[in-house]
Formats: sequence, structure tokens, C-alpha cells
Amino acid sequence: MLVDTKLQTSGRKTATAGARPSARRSTAARRPEGAADAQSARVEAATPEPKTEKRLIALKQNHLLGMQGLVAEEITLILDTARSFAEVSTRSIKKVPTLRGRTIVNFFMEPSTRTRSSFEIAEKRLSADALNFSPGASSVVKGESLLDTARNLEAMAPDMIVIRHKSSGAPHFLARHCRAHIINAGDGWHEHPTQALLDAFTIREKKGKLKGLRVAIIGDLMHSRVLRSNIFLLKTMGADVVACAPPTLTPVELSRLGVQVTWRIDEALEGADVVMMLRIQRERQKSGAFPSAREYYNLYGLTVERARRARTDADRQRRGGWAVLGHSRSGHQRGRRPDGRALSAGGRNAWRAC
Amino acid sequence: MASLLIKGGRVIDPATGTDALLDLLVVDGRIAERRPARPGKGASGERGVVPAGTKVLEAAGHWVCPGFVDMHVHLREPGQEHKESVETGTRAAAAGGFTSIACMPNTEPWNDGLSVTEYIVAEARRKGAVNVFPIGCVSKGGRGEELAEIGDMARSGAVAVSDDGQPVANTYLLRMAMEYTKIFGIPLIDHCEDRDLSAGGAMHEGYVSTMLGLQGIPAAAEEVAVAADLAVAQLTQGRLHVAHLSTRGSLEKVRQAKREGLRVTCEVTPHHLVLTDQAVADSDFDPNTKMNPPLRGEQDRQALIEGLRDGTIDAVASDHAPHHTDEKLQEFDEAPFGIIGLETSVPLIMDRFVRQGVITPARFVELMSVNPARILGLRKGTLAVGADADVTIIDPELERKVDVAQFRSKSRNSPFHGWTLRGWPVATVVAGQLVHEQRAAATR
Repeated sequence: MLVDTKLQTSGRKTATAGARPSARRSTAARRPEGAADAQSARVEAATPEPKTEKRLIALKQNHLLGMQGLVAEEITLILDTARSFAEVSTRSIKKVPTLRGRTIVNFFMEPSTRTRSSFEIAEKRLSADALNFSPGASSVVKGESLLDTARNLEAMAPDMIVIRHKSSGAPHFLARHCRAHIINAGDGWHEHPTQALLDAFTIREKKGKLKGLRVAIIGDLMHSRVLRSNIFLLKTMGADVVACAPPTLTPVELSRLGVQVTWRIDEALEGADVVMMLRIQRERQKSGAFPSAREYYNLYGLTVERARRARTDADRQRRGGWAVLGHSRSGHQRGRRPDGRALSAGGRNAWRAC
Repeated sequence: MASLLIKGGRVIDPATGTDALLDLLVVDGRIAERRPARPGKGASGERGVVPAGTKVLEAAGHWVCPGFVDMHVHLREPGQEHKESVETGTRAAAAGGFTSIACMPNTEPWNDGLSVTEYIVAEARRKGAVNVFPIGCVSKGGRGEELAEIGDMARSGAVAVSDDGQPVANTYLLRMAMEYTKIFGIPLIDHCEDRDLSAGGAMHEGYVSTMLGLQGIPAAAEEVAVAADLAVAQLTQGRLHVAHLSTRGSLEKVRQAKREGLRVTCEVTPHHLVLTDQAVADSDFDPNTKMNPPLRGEQDRQALIEGLRDGTIDAVASDHAPHHTDEKLQEFDEAPFGIIGLETSVPLIMDRFVRQGVITPARFVELMSVNPARILGLRKGTLAVGADADVTIIDPELERKVDVAQFRSKSRNSPFHGWTLRGWPVATVVAGQLVHEQRAAATR
């Protein structure tokens, strides 16, 4: 969770950097930053960096609300910092003092296992005091609004709030009403920036770069926050993106985000360096976007044949792949996620990120 | 005998073809006399007879217009008085330069019969600062199933019928309503929305909704309903008024229908003329940019402006939709639709369109007063001698910042807070009584 570290160090720079009009820009400027800066400097020094790009030492933003608006230097900074922390997990004592004394609230209003665990373990390994706050449906039933919750959280004086919420824009709402740094861990269909950063980290580890790669993103584009964050990140980093879904699951004017849009999976796979399979969300079939899981798989499943034909060297399945559709009648279960053999067909470079 | 002299203003009264510097003498709530302005002379120095004790309203440099009519207002009373009431809503209207408002029936309970209509009329008489004309339901409880007792409501003061907030989706019911309202000579006002296409949507469907990951409401959701309504209007030859028209396609359909001679009229809101869906992104998901119909794309906005100019659009109406701050301060998709507009309509249209020369002052008065009065069958919209002395006085040069804290409305849900606008209403006269005044020094 290097993202978090860098955000901690970013406060001082931010007061002038806000591109969007909001009072929240100034709020973090008054945080004491000294200790974190020192940590950060050490991290920077330790990072092996062959690139000659312009380097930043801190993010320009106060919050990580989305990948949209981040510049390439900021993304590179995060990925490089992440690289330096990856090694921590291989030690026998998996802990560094980077966030010692900082309080982080993991505020999850939507079910999540992997994302929350990932944040939690990152926070623990960075020595932060982490609090899991998951009011879930009960507080809504009691009539507690997000504003009420924001005020409750604010009373705990956290340094950072990680929020997962079903409504697009909920992290922006929190950013308006809390003084803490806000990390978006997924809002509605909007953005899931840390997932995109993780995807980019994985791609960079495996392919050595992002620029110039052709990345195919296939699946439920309409409802995917991962798609949007990945598009903003990959385009900023100079990759080409092709997005593929049935037209019923393709948001309007998607191509204006600078991506190629197709409903032919073979066209999407053609020449792809990286393939991302987005999960089909179980609740979506109700919307009538496709007739059955069976037909969806026939049209859009990543089969061995398709993977071979695409000759891609890297297929990866979106985590949480047990998404989806319809009834678990025997023989149709494979429709739920890419055929495991298709991943193998991708060759020795196939990998799964998690 | 109460009398008032509105002195030295530029009287813009399209109904009588007037645009001249005139003094208006109001006696007992009616326009008693109009005569050329004589600068510098007080009430006593006038040539004509001015009753003793006549108040003088100095209007030099100002526009004196027939009282503005906002034909689309939600007063929320009865039932939702935490958002607005007849009293506060009419005060907001007076402050915004409106002398008459028509209030929509989606109250709690719905205004679908005699008792609620009578209650609103009585409450307006007791506490209202301006004229209030209730709009009754098309269907019982706004459920879209069977006709409400429209005759009862019309008899007690309803000037139109609508299930606003809900479209009249059942085309058979729509046909019956358009036929039945002929008896009373009142229009049917429809909120045109195909709920199958719009279900779950929070903003206009387009590039911005895709970027923000918000579910969209396509333009077609409105256009499908407008097309259906026009077909039924053709069938019945009834009177249809399309509420808060927002898309280029809808406008084109109405334009075509008017060409074919259908009895159709339409209104547009200031926010659809001034803002686009980009406002949702620019404001970081501010729920005060959420309304239904949603803020549309720039092409739609340009088409609406063209409709203002060429006469396709008959009226500007605010769709004043008050919501309590706690209700609006929510996640974007959870927040209710709607914004308030009574206190920003006039300066928005003045600043963006009249002062820019997009529309003439006379056309402006038609849109704000003459046409809505005509559509609703009100004896308003003119400053002819003998007419009701409802007058809106505008200072075309006054520049002010919109400050929601100063609003008379109970609610604060406006996306225009902090905007600097030029051209504000400075005095509002209802039946000869000064119900709002911007400058303390104006009367003596």
C-alpha cells in the first residue's frame, strides 16, 4: 500500500495543485508531515530506477479518488514505490515503520474480501493503526446517512479513510466532508484506482513496461469500475486499450475515452499483449443484457481456442472470477469464468494477479 | 382607495405592443392609467389626477413588465412542509419576481380532488405572497390508473392537470384525460418520460455518465414519451403542454407538431438552458446537479436556446423542486431529483440570454409572463388599462451574487450558489400591493 505512504507525504504540495474546485484541497496542508517525509526520502533513495523520466517526490493530489487526473509521473512514482515495498513481504519480519502512529479507517459499505484484506495487510505491514469500519446495511436501515457516518469517522480523527461504496462519487462526498485523506477502494461503476494500480504493477513486472502495449479488456464494461480506472491509467501511461463486450454491456460513447471498442472478441484478442477478463456480475443478468450464461460464454468466454488464436502471451483472469450468471447447472459452470486451460494456453507467461 | 404610481420605467408589455417610458397608475389592484413618463416630477406635480396618498415606486432605469408567471412550481404543501410551504414558496416567488405561480399536485396526499385543491387555495389566500394556481392530478393518487375528479378541481380553482413527477404512461388514460379536460378548457401538462428506458438512471446518458460510472437516462426516454403524447394529442385534438422539455429530439417533435396545427405548447427550465451534464463532473458529483429530466448535452442545450429564439418554446418555468439539505446531502444516486429555481430564474435568463442579445426584452416577457398566463388561461400577462396590477420590475444593470443563504425558500438546493449574475428583479407588485422590494430606498 505504497499509495498510502505517498499520499501521506503529499499534503504540503497539494494546496496549490488542486485542479478541481473544492475546499478539501486545503485541508491536509496543515497536517504534520515531517516524519513521513523522512521515510519517503529513504524509500526514494532505495528504489532502483533505471528510467530517465521526470521524477516526482510526492503526489499532487490530497486524495486518491480515481486514476482520472493523475499524470504519468504520479503513476510511475506509485508503481516505483510499490516495487520497493514488494520486498518487505519476503522478509521474516514483514513490517516497516512508514505509517507508524497513523490511523487508517477501512470503511467498507460493500462486501469485499480481497480488497479489504489487501488494504489491511498493507496497513499492518506499514505499521499503521488500522480500524475496520463496516456498518453495512444495518446503519442504512437505521436511517444513518453517509453524512452521519462521515461525521462519526471524522470524530475518530483518522489520517486516512479507505472507502468502498456502491455509489459512484461516494469518496468525493467523503472528501468534501472529512479532513482525512481519502482512498477510493471502489465506488459504484466509477473507479477502482488501487485495482488499476495493482494491474499496472503486475503488467509492468511481467512485461517490463506499459507504454505501447495493447491491452484487451473483455467482459462487463458497463458496470465495471475496474475498466474505467484501467482505461485512465493505461491511456495515461501510453498503452493502447481495446474494450470488448456485447453492445448491451457497453457504456455509450466509451470510445471518447480514447479506447477502441468492439463487440467481436476475436478482434479484441488480435495482437493483444495483455488480456483482462472482467467478471460478469451476477446481479447484471437481471437487467436482460444477455439471454443466458451459456450464450454469453459461447460469445465472450475466453476459450482455449480463442486464447490460442489470439496468440497472446499473457492472459489473466480478473480476480473474483466466480462471478456470475444464472443457474449452476452442471456443464454450464465453466461459463462463470475463463477456462483454466485457456490461461495455460497463454503459454509460460500466463499469470494471475490477485 | 389604495393607489400606487410606478414612475418612469420602461414598460415592456408585448400584449399591447408597448415598449416605452411610461408612468403606470394603479388603483384598487388594477391598472388605472398609463401615460408618458415625465422625468423629475413627483406625484403631486403630475398632470393627471393622482389620488391622495398615492405611493410612488420610482422605476427610472428599470423594466416594468406584466407580472411573471412560473407555471411549474412544487410548493410541497400539504405533506412535505420541511421542504417548502405555500407561505415560503410564495415569498420565494415574490423575491424572484413572480406574481403568479402554478403548483404541481405531487404533494402528500396528491392534489387529486376537491379537498386538497381547496386547501391550497385557502392557504394561499391566508399566507400567500403571490397568486397561487393549483394544478390538479390527471389520475387518482397520481397512480396513472383512473381519472381524478378533474371537474371538482377545476371548479375550485385548478388551472391545469398533471401527474407531474410521474408521466402519464398509460396512453388510454392519456386519451381519456385529453378528451375529458376539453369540458373545462384546461391543458394537460405531461412530464414526458418512458420509465422503462430511464429506470435506475441518475443523470443524462452520454460521455459524462460513462466517464463517471453513473447510470444514464437517455434522451430517448423523453422523446419516446413526447412522440406518444403528440400522437394522442393528434388523435384527441386536446390541449397538451410538455413540461420541462430538455432534448433536441423532443423540441424537434414539438416544432413539427406545431407546424401541423396541434394544440401543443412546451416549457423549458433555466437550468437546462444554462447547464449541461458536464456540471455533474465539474462539481464532483454534487447532487444539486441532479434533476429529472437530467442536465443534457451541449447539443441539446444549443437546440433549446434556438427554441427560445424561434418561438417553439412557449414558456420558461423553473420546476422549483425544494428538498431539505439532509435529503440532498447524500450519495449522488441516492439523492432525490430536483433543484429550486424561483429565486434564480429571472437573473439567469436575463444574464445569459436577454443581456447577451439572444432574445429581445419583449420575447423575454412573453416567455415569462404572456405565454404561461395564456396557456393556463389566466387573466394575466398584460399591463393594459383595466388589467390586474401584477407587475414585475427588473433592474437590467443590477449585478449580484447568488447566495442561497439569502433565499426565502425553505430549501437551499441550487447549483447556482456563488454565481454572479446581472439583471435582477427589484420589485414585485401583486394586485397593486408591493410584495417584494430589493432596494429599501425605492419608495417614498
